[in-house]
Amino acid sequence: MIPAIPLWAREIADGLVEAGVRDVVYVPDNPLSHLLGALKTDHKDMRTTIATREEEALGIAAGLYLGGARPAVLFQSSGLGNAANALASLLVAYQIPALLVISMRGEEGEWNSAQVPMARAVRPLLAALGIQAFTLDTAAGAATMVRRAAALAFGTRTPTSCLLPRRLTSPDPPKGGAR
Amino acid sequence: MTRLDATRLLHRWLTSEAVVASLGHPAYDLYAAGDRAASFYAWGSMGVASSIGLGLAMAQPYRRVVVLDGDGSLLMNLGTLATIGVVAPANLVIVVWDNGEYGTTGGQPTATARGADLARAAAALGIPRTATVDTPDALDRTLAQAFAEAGPWVVVAKVRESGPGPKPPLDCVFIKQRFMEAVGVAERSTRGDDVQ
Repeated sequence: MIPAIPLWAREIADGLVEAGVRDVVYVPDNPLSHLLGALKTDHKDMRTTIATREEEALGIAAGLYLGGARPAVLFQSSGLGNAANALASLLVAYQIPALLVISMRGEEGEWNSAQVPMARAVRPLLAALGIQAFTLDTAAGAATMVRRAAALAFGTRTPTSCLLPRRLTSPDPPKGGAR
Repeated sequence: MTRLDATRLLHRWLTSEAVVASLGHPAYDLYAAGDRAASFYAWGSMGVASSIGLGLAMAQPYRRVVVLDGDGSLLMNLGTLATIGVVAPANLVIVVWDNGEYGTTGGQPTATARGADLARAAAALGIPRTATVDTPDALDRTLAQAFAEAGPWVVVAKVRESGPGPKPPLDCVFIKQRFMEAVGVAERSTRGDDVQ
């Protein structure tokens, strides 16, 4: 059975389309699969490209922008570590915008200790690069927030990020402690 | 042939192509061969030049996109060859200046100096058109093919290090804006009235 597409994923997909994004480059992650599903179901003209690594995804996104597109890049918080230099020395240095949609691990509800250190580094790393981070806490209004973040990115030519915490993407964790 | 000789030879083929040059000597040589607005000189992000080329080729499928990468930098991001194999943009030509060393950083050997074969790697990762050339004539003939027949192409050109040339413009934003104007997508004013 194909699970129903959750509202948060539909909202973010709608927000991306309303922002003029027609290219999504991504490295897969479990919650992001719902967003990709929403794009595939509701927005068939969205081109999605899977990359092998996050810095590669940012290189592809930079090329898309240089060619006239408005790219979004999707990856997990752990992948921000892989992406740091491409963000810093390509997107930030050349003022090349992209909307980053980062699915968070290592925060509330996390059970895997290896995910926690990079999660703690996400906001300080983005802040050090001058990249604003907007946390999408609820499905309601997520489309508007994505659109606003994209307006900031493409209007001011700076990469801009939306963070997707697990309280958004997995609102019903197992009771009695996560396993 | 030296990398600068090879770059000059390639430069003679260029008309409306968008060109992306990896940081360091590939970018310096492209500038030395002749500055052009549709040349994007990378100053950082080692390894992702071919990925930038892929994105450009996707955004502008009717324009030929040429990437000047290096053996050391491509080895940092071999996975992108697999992505290029999957996306398969017919208008993308990747030229790898393979001198077997990290020329910009003092000549430390790369794996190609010990026999690693980037053209075979590209073919194994799904790139349909690959070639290895080591003379100016062979490079010229292969470029004639790559500029006429559908790709994506990976052309590995065995070159000798020619030392650093003059530096391209240092202003990254200038490079970007000039490049985008040249490929027909000039950034609009910063008033923001083009955004939603």
